[in-house]
Amino acid sequence: MKALLRSISLFAAVAGGLIALAVGLLTVYSVTQRAIITKPLAGDIELVQFGIALSISLCIAWCQLHGSNIIVDFFTQKAAPKTNRWLDGTGCVFMALMYGLLSVRTLYGAIAVHGAHETSPTLDLPMWWTYACLAPGLALACVVALTQAWMHFSQEDMISLTGIVSDDLSEIKL
Amino acid sequence: MTSLAMTPTTIGLLMFAGMLVLMAIRIPIAAAMFVPGALGYWAMTNHSALLNVLKGSSVARLTIYDLSVIPLFLLMGQFATQGGLSRALFNAAAAFVGHVRGGLAMASIFAAGAFGAVCGSSVATAATITQVAYPEMKRLGYKGRLSTATLATSGTLGILIPPSVPLVVYAILTEQSIGKLFAAAMIPGILAMLGYVAVVALICKLKPDLAPAAMPLAWSKRWTALLGVWPIMTIFVAVFGGIYGGIFSPTEGAAVGAVLTLAAAVMNREMSWSALWKSCTATAETSAMVFLIFLGADMMNAALAITQMPAAVAEWVTGLHVSSIFIIAAILAMYILLGCVMDELSMLLLTIPVIFPAVMSLEIYGLGPEMKAIWFGILVLMTVGIGMIAPPVGLNVYVVNNLAKDVPMNETYKGVFPFLAWDLIRVGLMLAFPILSLGLVKLLFTR
Repeated sequence: MKALLRSISLFAAVAGGLIALAVGLLTVYSVTQRAIITKPLAGDIELVQFGIALSISLCIAWCQLHGSNIIVDFFTQKAAPKTNRWLDGTGCVFMALMYGLLSVRTLYGAIAVHGAHETSPTLDLPMWWTYACLAPGLALACVVALTQAWMHFSQEDMISLTGIVSDDLSEIKL
Repeated sequence: MTSLAMTPTTIGLLMFAGMLVLMAIRIPIAAAMFVPGALGYWAMTNHSALLNVLKGSSVARLTIYDLSVIPLFLLMGQFATQGGLSRALFNAAAAFVGHVRGGLAMASIFAAGAFGAVCGSSVATAATITQVAYPEMKRLGYKGRLSTATLATSGTLGILIPPSVPLVVYAILTEQSIGKLFAAAMIPGILAMLGYVAVVALICKLKPDLAPAAMPLAWSKRWTALLGVWPIMTIFVAVFGGIYGGIFSPTEGAAVGAVLTLAAAVMNREMSWSALWKSCTATAETSAMVFLIFLGADMMNAALAITQMPAAVAEWVTGLHVSSIFIIAAILAMYILLGCVMDELSMLLLTIPVIFPAVMSLEIYGLGPEMKAIWFGILVLMTVGIGMIAPPVGLNVYVVNNLAKDVPMNETYKGVFPFLAWDLIRVGLMLAFPILSLGLVKLLFTR
């Protein structure tokens, strides 16, 4: 179950990174078109906005799973490890609350926008797509955060969820 | 209003206090801003207004076109890091200055400065330069204090020299032009780099045993080493030439930069599938982290705006009978203190919405609103850089020490002090001479 959660989050994150790269390639294509035939790709800005939003939402679960959310640990450095596990568990509950609220409300947003038949200005894409695309990533992050909270509260080793964290450069967060 | 009959100011202060308490007890900063913000919003309005605002808040934040530069610049930085572009830079710099005393430390500063021109993150710059420069310095017998402190400090050039992720965040928060802010950061960034080199030279003059000199290289070898840096030079010229030549927007520039850097890394034969995979996951983590803090700060700032607290703070500050420069200096001092315990992006997202209106209401050297905003942005960026290396929590120091495990962390902190002195002097210079940051903006954008 935890391994599955990890795999889903990891693949979502890689997909998110590749979508960002695809957005980059598309933009380069559009810029080149504009330079050569003075006509950029129609709706490139809309595609960039949509692509990046989708990319970020897919990355959130991995960020949560990998513990990349920033905390201030200055005041709790000397606390007992057990206390810090409790605090970190509480932190996960707070994050889960944020993800859950945003996910559910974004879904309601999708329904409302769908009803209003809003479309994007150039490509005429239905606007509710953007809303609907963001909800699953946030929901996945919510599940990850709740699992982590449970593991912290029961003082369980996080390695069954995070996998082995190596020490090389790729593990250093930018 | 609520049955508790609290004044808006009380609610605002409670939200702020709640947030600080949550942050102190390890609640992730995004949620520590989001939850009190949501509760405050609820108290100021009602639950249906809160639910309504949440319906669109994630879409509103994630689809901002200007913010797309963040994942794209992060991707570019990752490709440069994973693609081994830092090695060529260090080799070229070392070929030219390696033979003077402390020359390899100077070379790593130059390499970090050049790497900072394609990477917008200070931690990534510190890590990647450390990986190529530290083993070399150790081999030649450089003392750990000097080498690790130089590497941690030179990492800050990643954000001081554009592109710079904190500067993009500042630009978005204050609705300023990213291109102009990047231009304004250029000369202060170069000054920082040259100053760090001078600090190394001075240290080596005073304590020659800290760093030996290497054998000079033949000129033919130097030119060969210099040839290795052409990919990074090309990328830099294409991205910034394009942005300032009016050919494309910063977002398009970041996209072009990411694609070119990937191409350079592939040509370098360093971009394996696993490196691409790592670039994707590392970009994913950081972009999600940044945007989550944005979402938390949005909630907090929306609630604070209804309580009118930012306006009240601005009014209070303008009512003070002290000189504007003194107020700015006090704000910067507060940033330096905050930066010692807090992460730089959260610090900006948390304080800029409250402090920026107050800064804009001040009269400074007769600067117009836009120039004032740009000038203040560069000052804030420099204090952020200080926070990256100052004790007790200098993120760069952690990163460098993690890679150079044989040097105790307090040795690095001791070594960092001379560089911090130059940082403070530079903040003073920027404070006294706005032309240092605004000169290039005026030159590039007045036509």
